[in-house]
Amino acid sequence: MISINTGDGRTESIRIIDVDVHVHENPKEMAPYCDMPWRKSLEMMEEEPGRYIDIPGFAPSLRLDPPFPGGATARKIFTAAQMREDLDSMGIDIGVLFPDHLLTLALLPNRDYAAAVARAYNAWLIDRWLRDNNGLRGALVAAPQDPVDAARQIERYAREPNIIGVYLPTAAVRPLYGDTWYDPLYQAAQSAGLPVLLHSVSVVHPNFPFNLQDFDTALARHTLAHPFSMIANMVSMITTGVPARFPNLKIAFCEAGISWVPFVMWRLDKEYTEQRRQIPFLEDKPSTYIRRFYYCTQPVEEPDDTHDFVSMLHLFGGEDSVMYASDWPHHDFDHPNKVLQLPLSLEAKRKLMGGNAAKLFNLQD
Amino acid sequence: MAEYIVAQEGEIPDGDRRLVQVHGREIGVFNLGGKYYALPNICIHQAGPLCTGRISGTLISNTDTNWKLQWGFEGEIVTCPWHALEFNITTGQCLAFPKRRLRSYTVKVEQGQIKLVL
Ligand code: FES
Repeated sequence: MISINTGDGRTESIRIIDVDVHVHENPKEMAPYCDMPWRKSLEMMEEEPGRYIDIPGFAPSLRLDPPFPGGATARKIFTAAQMREDLDSMGIDIGVLFPDHLLTLALLPNRDYAAAVARAYNAWLIDRWLRDNNGLRGALVAAPQDPVDAARQIERYAREPNIIGVYLPTAAVRPLYGDTWYDPLYQAAQSAGLPVLLHSVSVVHPNFPFNLQDFDTALARHTLAHPFSMIANMVSMITTGVPARFPNLKIAFCEAGISWVPFVMWRLDKEYTEQRRQIPFLEDKPSTYIRRFYYCTQPVEEPDDTHDFVSMLHLFGGEDSVMYASDWPHHDFDHPNKVLQLPLSLEAKRKLMGGNAAKLFNLQD
Repeated sequence: MAEYIVAQEGEIPDGDRRLVQVHGREIGVFNLGGKYYALPNICIHQAGPLCTGRISGTLISNTDTNWKLQWGFEGEIVTCPWHALEFNITTGQCLAFPKRRLRSYTVKVEQGQIKLVL
């Protein structure tokens, strides 16, 4: 809860649901939860100190940039208690847990292994992070390499009280998430009433977000990695008719900010006017579906004039679909105050800071 | 104007800093080679604890370096631990935004005592 001054001498408290925070899963700790023979592999992995989302065979990473002293601080959260304390310090009531290393899960070429890692993570997350009623909720990891197994995981944990969604690893995913290959996963998520959450990360890989090696700085690669992933997968999902095939599936896009949304929306609507017959399964223009999707704020745009942010929100009805996310403890996290300080009505603030997430995740309490 | 003793000489190692509370303000007092500087511990970006960040140099590239990267300001730059905005400790200047400069407080050393002037 955060109390804010309404400007007329009163204070109001606002409940904060943070849709994206990261736990630091480590292969050795996950090993007991992993099926054989892959347990053997996880047992062998050492996390080298200083490495961040970078473990050979687990979170493969192509580190291209020479290090320099100084710069950003890498933070990791190892326990539920530590997470709770951090979220409390920012006034956050509920945090939705995502992994660190498994942000790159889609890069693992071995299907069987990727599915085993996802299963191990889900069992570990529930056992180690979601046992207490302490405001931590979790997203199941779905291995895109094996959507049928992911569907089984969703069915298995659908009634687990603190599991509230399904995380779709989006960096370098192939095929893109519009492909009917994923239909079993979407069917299961829709039946379970669990939203799917697309979340990417910077990777250098020939699949989307793709060809980022053409840039010689991490700044440039990171500028494009998340939005490229989201744009590619949203266009894929719209143009293969995911929201038409699964009308009750709730879909959310995380960690790319929101300014890409109006661009894709108008671009798709324009194409639709001319080439609709190629996607006749859509019953209305793409923007109609895009307005029903959900979006996370982080990394929140910070224009000089914050009214510009509000105008952008209105372009796609974001007041009813945009959700605060911190991305804590990552280097580009956003403190709740940054979103609370936007020139929005109290009602809109309530929606962005928690109301829209409560609607997406069916959180009554 | 008032003076506050915040440390004894020798208590803040060279190249390091100490956080002090003065008048409800949190201030970072830095020792750079025996010279002392003080900056507010609240970042201009999202109010992060900037004085607790790493102290280092930074990369420079401009006409003087013929657009080659060079390492400079060794030991003079503090990086906010939240989102890595860099500040020059000696001036409070934010390296990313030319118009943004932290206020810097006067520090005096007298009879082995480090004093903040507020
Ligand atoms: S709060 Fe200091 S860089 Fe963001």
